Parts: sequence; structure tokens; C-alpha cells
Amino acid sequence: MAFVTQVVSYRGLIGHLAQRELKSKYKRSVLGWLWSLLNPAATLLIYTVVFGTVMRIEPPLAGNGELHSFALYLFSALIVWNFFNAVIIGSMGALMGVGALLKKVYFPPECPAIANALTVVIQSGIECLILVAVMIAFGNVSWTFLIFPYLLLLLTLFTLGIGLVLSIYNIYLRDVNYLVTIGMSLLFYGTPIVYPYSLVEANAPELIATLVRFNPLTQFVGASQQIFYLLEAPSPARLLGLTAISVATFLGGWAIFVAKSVDVSEEL
Amino acid sequence: MSLTVSNRRPSSDGRPAIVVDNVSKRFRLYREKPSSVKERFTKLRGAVYEEYWALKDVSIEVPRGTTYGLVGSNGSGKSTMLRVMAGIHRPTSGSVNVDGRVSALLELGAGFHPELTGRENIYLNAAILGLTRKTIAAKMDDIIEFAGLGAFVDSPVKVYSSGMFVRLGFSVAVHVEPEVLLVDEVIAVGDEDFQRRCFDHLYKLRNSGSTIVLVTHDLGLVQGMCDNAAWLDKGVLKKVGRAPDVVHAYLDQVNEVETKRIEEKSKPIEVTDAETVEAEDIADVRSSHDLVEIEDVEFLDAEGRPTLTITPLEKLTMRVHWRAKVPQPEPLFSFAVENEAGVYVANPGMQPKPTWRDIPAGPGYVDYRMDELVLGPGQYTFTVAAHDHAGTTILHKRERFITLRVQPGNTLVLGLIDMMGTWVPPVSMAKDDDQFEVAPGPFDMAQEQ
Repeated sequence: MAFVTQVVSYRGLIGHLAQRELKSKYKRSVLGWLWSLLNPAATLLIYTVVFGTVMRIEPPLAGNGELHSFALYLFSALIVWNFFNAVIIGSMGALMGVGALLKKVYFPPECPAIANALTVVIQSGIECLILVAVMIAFGNVSWTFLIFPYLLLLLTLFTLGIGLVLSIYNIYLRDVNYLVTIGMSLLFYGTPIVYPYSLVEANAPELIATLVRFNPLTQFVGASQQIFYLLEAPSPARLLGLTAISVATFLGGWAIFVAKSVDVSEEL
Repeated sequence: MSLTVSNRRPSSDGRPAIVVDNVSKRFRLYREKPSSVKERFTKLRGAVYEEYWALKDVSIEVPRGTTYGLVGSNGSGKSTMLRVMAGIHRPTSGSVNVDGRVSALLELGAGFHPELTGRENIYLNAAILGLTRKTIAAKMDDIIEFAGLGAFVDSPVKVYSSGMFVRLGFSVAVHVEPEVLLVDEVIAVGDEDFQRRCFDHLYKLRNSGSTIVLVTHDLGLVQGMCDNAAWLDKGVLKKVGRAPDVVHAYLDQVNEVETKRIEEKSKPIEVTDAETVEAEDIADVRSSHDLVEIEDVEFLDAEGRPTLTITPLEKLTMRVHWRAKVPQPEPLFSFAVENEAGVYVANPGMQPKPTWRDIPAGPGYVDYRMDELVLGPGQYTFTVAAHDHAGTTILHKRERFITLRVQPGNTLVLGLIDMMGTWVPPVSMAKDDDQFEVAPGPFDMAQEQ
């Protein structure tokens, strides 16, 4: 617990690091905020064309009983994936980026990863607002939207736990970065994002279906699609399960990070 | 040192600012280390490394509000000690307790992010030290001004010159009002003017009650500025105590080692066949008459023992051993002194006299006696010559024949030589109603004789 209070006492630094990242992201380019949305928008467009239009993957009917859009079904899932991806990749880069600094001054080495997660939360918040606006435009609105902040909190804990571990191993082992890239693309297709989970259940062998089902991201994505698209509240079992796994991953990841990072200044 | 500081803030309580308790620090020097996941799976052998103890069971206490010096030769663990104090390295065993906000200035520049501008780095460092943006914004101008960055303040620090880097580092470190300031041999990098301003600032910090730990090779600085000091040797604490005592103990050992080393290897190169010598540097100039030969030169300390190292203001005698080949009028001798930089320091010579004695063939010696050696610390090379009785012809000259090393001693001598003068107390010419104020001068001018 001492580590928690220490990080809290360095909240100024975390805030500063986050602010810096946001500034470089949004201030220095001509279109600012719009620019940062270009990438997710492009992804959304490509996947919609490839999987929705060309491959004709059928989205379920939305919660309002009228909307039937692959793009919006995908958007509800991509919000989760984009967040996960940005935090994992960003954590590794963030720790590497402060390497020179850690050799000269002391601060908790988890600060950069936490700051990075904060900036991603803000980015996701913007994406989320856009999604909500679009859903309102299509008349697909419900109180379930209000569950999303809690889901995002769990997702932050879960992802940060993994991100911290990867970021510290990335310092000691050069090719972690490379392996993570491979792992991320595996995970992307191992999570029902560009296809509905029902397709896996119907077509995939039992083993693969089980793997996909027990992938925590499947649960996060599923919950997000329920909240934004299907307009149903995730079952208490699903939320409890996600809460448990997120907290456990976060605490476990942080513990590993703390244990591995004590001598990080000698390694950088 | 004659500067005393009277208006120190009394320490709030008896607790020391830094307590280093039985600290050991082990580094692993890896000769082979699997540094990727792939290697971990494919290599049969694990990491191959040697252990190296940078610190062994070191205990130090730094009282609050004092200045503390860490001395020792290279590789003695001083810098590691400082890093451990700063919390950058974790001690392998033992504990370090630092009470108060620490600002560290290690090697070149503080913790700077090369891609960020000077201004952003100032904010970043301040944030690391726990200062709010508002506090630092208020000091921003002072910091930039002190560092003398000018227009560079909004350029990434990677384009800075090393001097700018150090100046900015120092400026940030001292302006954040650290309760504990750790400084590692950085001030030496700046130019004269900057160094002076650094010291002014360190004194200011010291007077306002900050605790300062200084790692430096400048023993004069340790003696002049530090209250206490510790001497580390190969990771072992050799001595702690009042700064002058520690410095002396350290110097004694250094001088001893140096003397041994120099005397082992510095038997001069003797050249007999002048034609084979191309390097003019060590050539002997010999007149065709070959009347007198300088055979050897030695230095004798106060007790008359031969030595090659000495400290300033000690008694020293230079003895030139010569041999007259034939009976002849008494020769004259002279020598030239040159320092490491090639600066021609002095050239004392005997003056021709209207009358002279004749001497027989055979050996003899001549002494040049110095009751107090005026030379400051450094390395001096002596060229010795024998002249005829009239001083018109060089009979024999040994170019750069012997080297004397002057070690920093108990008395601080800055610069090339000690002027050997005495300070007379200041006399005020003002009338009674004008108060005569003694302004504190830069410490390096305050030298006691």
C-alpha cells in the first residue's frame, strides 16, 4: 500500500506527463482534436467496408428495434479495443521514453505508464462522446450508456495491469515489443470485434470457442456492445466477473512491476 | 578558511537530514546476458556476470543544515553513494533515510528529457520534485536568467551545449528550494563566471538551512565549504569527520601512493650519444669542451630525504650533482621550471661574479634552497643547466630532466603560485557615522596565511 500513497504523492508529475502528451497530440497539429480521431475513424471505415460490406457479416438488431448497422455495432466494440491497444503500446513507450530521466532523478517508474493511461482515457472519452452523439441521432438511446464509465474504469485497471508488466519486461528484454505486436494482432482476431460472438459459437471448433469466451476482452467488448448498441445492462455476473478480473490483474501487474522495477535505473 | 557563516537557520530538531545505515551496493557486471525473449529460450547458459561491490557497509550521518563532502579517488563509490542517497539506486543491503525534499544534480545536467525544450524540462523537473506549476511559474524567470539560456529556452535541450546543459541543471536544482541538495562534480564544467555564481548560490542555500552533499575532487572546495566529510576508498568508508581532517587523511594517502608510483618509474632517460636523439625535448645540450657534466638532480624535503612529491609552502631543496672533467673556474648553474601546460614559470640562475675560484676535477653538488615552496598544486618539469664562470656559455644542459609533483596540501593555494604576501586588516577611511560593512567575498579569495 505504500506504493499507492507514493504514486498519489507524485500525482503532480503524473498530471504533468499526461498534460505533456496531450499537448503534443492535440496542440501541435493543425486540426488538433480532429486529427487524433482520424486513426480510429479510418479503422472504423476500413473494417466496416471489409467485414460489413464485402464479407457481409450480419450485425444483430439494435436495442431500439430499428437500427441495424454493422458500423455502429463495430464502433461499440472498437472503443474497447482502441483503448486496450493504446494503453498497452503506450505503456511500453512511456517507460522507455523516460529512461534517461530515471537514471538522474528518482520518481516511481510507474508514473509514465499511469500518465499514458490517463491520456488514453481522455481520448476514449472523446470517442465515446461521438458514439453517443451518433446513437442519439439514430434514436438508439438508453440509460445503459451510464454504465460505460464504470466499464472504462475496469478496463483501465485491467489494461494498466498488463501494460505495466509488459513495459518493465520491455526494458530487460529487447524483443518484448516485437512479441507484443504479434500478440496484439492475435488478440484482435481472438476477440469478437469484427465478427459477432455468435458466429464463433456456431462455426468454430470447441477449443477456439472456449478460448474466445474466456478471453477477458471478449467480455469487455460484449459489455460495451450491450451498453451502446443492444441497450441492455450487462448481467451482474458479467460485471462482477469483470470487476474481479480487472482488480486482480491490476494488483498482480503492479506487484510484478514493483518487484521488477527496483533496479530499473541500472538497467536503462 | 576564514569565512564563517553566522546567520544559519538553527536546525529545527536534532534529527539528521540523511542517515545512511550500513549500506552496501552490489552491481552486476554482465559479460553475457540474455537480453531478449528469444535468447532466453535458445541459450543454454544463463547470465554470466561478475559481482562488484561499489559500496561496502557504509554508514554516514549528515546533520541537518550542514554541508557534507564526499572525497575519494575515481571508482571509490562516491557517485554511487550520491545516487543511493537520491533514491535512484536501491541499496543491496542497509538503509538510507533522507528527510526532506531532495534535489540531485548528477554528472552532466539533471534529469532532462532531450526532446523537450528547456522550459518544459524545468516544469518536468519541478513536477518530479513535487512543486506545483504555480510555484515553478513564479521562479521560471529566475531559473532561465541564472542559466543564461537566452533564446534557447524554447529549443529542445538536445541542441544545448554542454555548458548550457549544466547551467540549466544547476539552475533548476538550486531554485526549487531543495531541503537536501546532492551535487556531483558538476560545477567544474561551467566557465569562471558561472562557477562563481554557483558558489554564491550554494552559500545562499547553505545559509538558508539546506543540507548539501557535495561529491568533488576539488579538495580545496571540500575544505572551504564543507562542515564534515567522508572519505571513500574502493567502496569502503575510510574516514568521517570534520572536513579538514578527512581531507588531510585522504591527501596523506594519495601523496604516499603517488610518491611510490613516481619514484618507481621516473628514473630519467639518459642519452649519451647525441646524434641518435631526434626528440629535442629530452636532448642534452653539451658544449664541445665537455668541461662539466650534470649527473643527477634530486629534491630533498625538510628532513633532507629525497622526494618527488611535495605540498605547497613546504621547505624544499633542489640538489644538482655535477662532475668537473678538468680543473676549471667555478661553474654557474641555472634551472627553468615549466608546468604541465607548458607555461614557463621561473628561471633562477646564479649570477656571474667578478672573481671566482678554481675547482679541481671531480664530483660536487650545488643546492637551491626554498624555505617555502611558492608553487601551487600541479606538475612541474625542471630543465637544469651548467654554465661557465662568466655565464656566457652553456656547458651542459639537461632538458626536462626531472619532474616535481606538488600536491594540494593543508594550505589552500589556488593558481600557479602563492604570492607569499600577508593580508593587513582592512582600514576604514569612513567617518564614525558611516557603518563599515564587510561584504562576504567569493570564498576562493578568502585565504588565510
